[in-house]
Amino acid sequence: MRALAQIWQRHDLGKWIIGLIILLLLALPLLQYIPSEETLVTNLLLFSFTQMFMLVTLASNWNLTGGFTGYVDFGHAVFFGLGAYGTGIVMAKAGWPFVPALVVGAIVSAVFALLIGGATLRLKGPYFSIAMLGTLVAMREIVRVSRPLTGGGAGLTLPPYLNRPLFYYITLVLAILVVLFIRWLRQTEFGASLIAIREDEVGAEMRGINTTRHKITIFIIAAFSSGIVGGLWAYQNTFIDPDIVFLPARTVEMVMMTMLGGLGTVAGPVIGAATIYWLRDVVWANFLDYHLIMQGLLLILIVLFVPEGIMGTLGDRSGTTVGRLWGKYISPAREGTTQAEVNP
Amino acid sequence: MDQFLQAMINGIMLGGFYAAMVLGFSIIWGVMGVINLAHGEFIMAGAYFTWMMNREYGWEPFLALIVILPVFFVAGYILQRILINRVIERPHLISLLVTFGLSIIIANVYKLAYTGTPRTVESAFSGFWRAGEVTIPITRSYVVVAALTMMAALHLFLQYTRLGKSIRAAAQNREAAQIVGIEIGRVYAITFAICIALTGAAGMLASPTQAVFPFMGAPLTLKAFAITAMSGLGSIPGALMGGVVLGLIEVFIATYVPGIGTNLGIVASFVILVVVLVTRPQGLFGGLKPAGAL
Amino acid sequence: MTGNGQQPLLEGRGVSKYFGGLAALSDVDFAVYSGEVMGLIGPNGSGKTTLFDCLSRVQEISDGQVFFKGKEITNKKSYQVAHMGLARTFQVIRVYRKMTVLDNMLLSRQWGGQGMLQIFRPSQQRTKKRAHELAKFLLLDHVIDEKAGNLSGGQQRLLEIGMALMPNPDLILLDEATSGVNPTLIETIKDRIRELNEKEHKTFLLIEHNIHFIADLCSRVVVLDYGQKLAEGTPAEIMENEAVIEAYFGAYGEGENDSEA
Repeated sequence: MRALAQIWQRHDLGKWIIGLIILLLLALPLLQYIPSEETLVTNLLLFSFTQMFMLVTLASNWNLTGGFTGYVDFGHAVFFGLGAYGTGIVMAKAGWPFVPALVVGAIVSAVFALLIGGATLRLKGPYFSIAMLGTLVAMREIVRVSRPLTGGGAGLTLPPYLNRPLFYYITLVLAILVVLFIRWLRQTEFGASLIAIREDEVGAEMRGINTTRHKITIFIIAAFSSGIVGGLWAYQNTFIDPDIVFLPARTVEMVMMTMLGGLGTVAGPVIGAATIYWLRDVVWANFLDYHLIMQGLLLILIVLFVPEGIMGTLGDRSGTTVGRLWGKYISPAREGTTQAEVNP
Repeated sequence: MDQFLQAMINGIMLGGFYAAMVLGFSIIWGVMGVINLAHGEFIMAGAYFTWMMNREYGWEPFLALIVILPVFFVAGYILQRILINRVIERPHLISLLVTFGLSIIIANVYKLAYTGTPRTVESAFSGFWRAGEVTIPITRSYVVVAALTMMAALHLFLQYTRLGKSIRAAAQNREAAQIVGIEIGRVYAITFAICIALTGAAGMLASPTQAVFPFMGAPLTLKAFAITAMSGLGSIPGALMGGVVLGLIEVFIATYVPGIGTNLGIVASFVILVVVLVTRPQGLFGGLKPAGAL
Repeated sequence: MTGNGQQPLLEGRGVSKYFGGLAALSDVDFAVYSGEVMGLIGPNGSGKTTLFDCLSRVQEISDGQVFFKGKEITNKKSYQVAHMGLARTFQVIRVYRKMTVLDNMLLSRQWGGQGMLQIFRPSQQRTKKRAHELAKFLLLDHVIDEKAGNLSGGQQRLLEIGMALMPNPDLILLDEATSGVNPTLIETIKDRIRELNEKEHKTFLLIEHNIHFIADLCSRVVVLDYGQKLAEGTPAEIMENEAVIEAYFGAYGEGENDSEA
């Protein structure tokens, strides 16, 4: 493993391979036009990839609050859903064209993040996580009962637009942009502050970081980005309802992918998303019924046995592990150690 | 006025159920520091057991306890030994994720076995008592009685039996408990087993009054979390008060806010949860330890 | 150095802190003057760290006021106070264990006070230089790429001091900087504090159990007991103060069987 990592670093193989992959991905839809006996590239394949790109983006967004800042959000799907509904409502009910509608969806998401973050980001560790899960479920029900606006449980239908290659490109470009953005962010002082907050929030605040402002800012950024994905998804799917969109399982996906890839690393969510997506689609397509059960099992296995994630195992030290994230919040079984900290 | 009274009674009855429902969750958290996100799924499983007995043998729901209690006890014991044990001394995030994974597995196993069609449980005790303008559903009354019995039994067990005291000791200071000879591993396993049995029983309590389907667990888990966080970990009186408060709030919102319905019970619990956690992290009532001091 | 009539750098008036029914601090008045090295001592549980928490705004103050550089900071947040030039270390060592010494130092640089846009600047080269310099100053340069968790207790204490110094603060609160440190390093720490105090005019407030350390370094000492100020004066005066002796040793006196934990 070590030797591999060293070779990797020395030749900066990473950049070349990534470049190559991106080129391939960009070219993929064009392969449709190569005359051949079989269809190499079907719309279904493009659709598949589109889903994967969206997952990569979502996992990366989640990683912003979860992996970088240490606030494990169990309800992140709510921003995805708000983006979906924001876009959907404005297109279906007000007849807006897609692009402005998408912006509206993202803004709705961001504004909600501002409002809810003010309250939930004060909570620590598991309380934050579950409060966000509660937010997700609550929003689902709110959308469900707001029939006049959202179509309620019956859902909302958007104007159809079937252009698989276009969605493919849009989501691919979005994913690339988001990952690049995150990479840049990490190099800034803002990024370093987030990591400090994750490692020791009290200490970070003592050393001059306005933790509240930082937390809310990254929260809004992640929400905005996931809102965009939500809007895209809604348009592509043409139909949304509260249950598909505000799905706790979606957040779990993001968590799992990021953890598998490496919490708090830049490449982690990308690798994790790709891996899990293909595992799901390729391997599990054969076991359709057991699909979610296996997902649950996978989550347990990842948590217990691969805490560093793939990137961590490959030597990327920039991230963190599930264990370290809430090292302070250990069970009462270890009461002895925490008391010393709590009582001056 | 009658509407108010009716709402009060409904709220208290719902609260009684919630209190019983919360017990297992609260104690697991308080004693072992594990937040069991699969809690609702165990309730669901208990409800399904009840339905099976009801459909196959025509058993009254309460009779299903004969099957549920031992089965869930054993299942809980085994589960604790093979899985939960690994997450006890580790950060909460791990137990959250593992139990969350567990919840997905259980819910979908049941979906496979029984499909997503909602099931109903028939009870001979359906019907109402009337007191003036107020109606009191019979089944729910029995549910409340059963719930109170469970709580009293649990309380007596924890206070007066040796095992109960060991559990409380382990919750408060693990090392000291071990020093005086309490075998922690066994205590944890038995505690978990008891709690799962209680939770299965809660499933039985739930079955006559709501539709039984594989995904009914999630809102219940959230409510359990809200109540426990509010009322302190491992606190039985806290569970009672917290449960009743939540029940009352849900019913009153459903009664007095037009066109809403009980779906928004979730919203209510969530809002309460966030408000309480932000303003009073130590919880509202005492318990083994306050919710904020993890 | 401590002239009367000079405005204190840090001042607390009637500071009180209650945890439920327990008064961790009762009505504590004190002042730290610019350029001093002041000591804060007292038996365990006397409220020293709580006082630090209140001063550095890590905890809310139940009653009373605190002033830093003449401005009231009673209700400010800890990062605001940090911007004003106050730094502190913690009783339980809080370094980022899995990160290198260098990363620890870099994560402690001064942030903000700037507008929102500024924080998106890339990390400054300037800061790296300062981190290296400080590491050298604290004898940590040979371990600068080691994981902080691998350092000895004493080295971790030094690292904490380094982290506190990164933003170039005016007042440094050190909480038990010598606890768990071997005697040689203690001398080093003493040395460094003296140097920072004399050459760079930095003010120190030290919580200590090590009486010799305090006697050597501090010009003034405040004694706390049960959350109240018991005595104040030079180290020599304090060590002869009967009430202080009783507070510390009364519980450990011969023939007495309470052992105060």
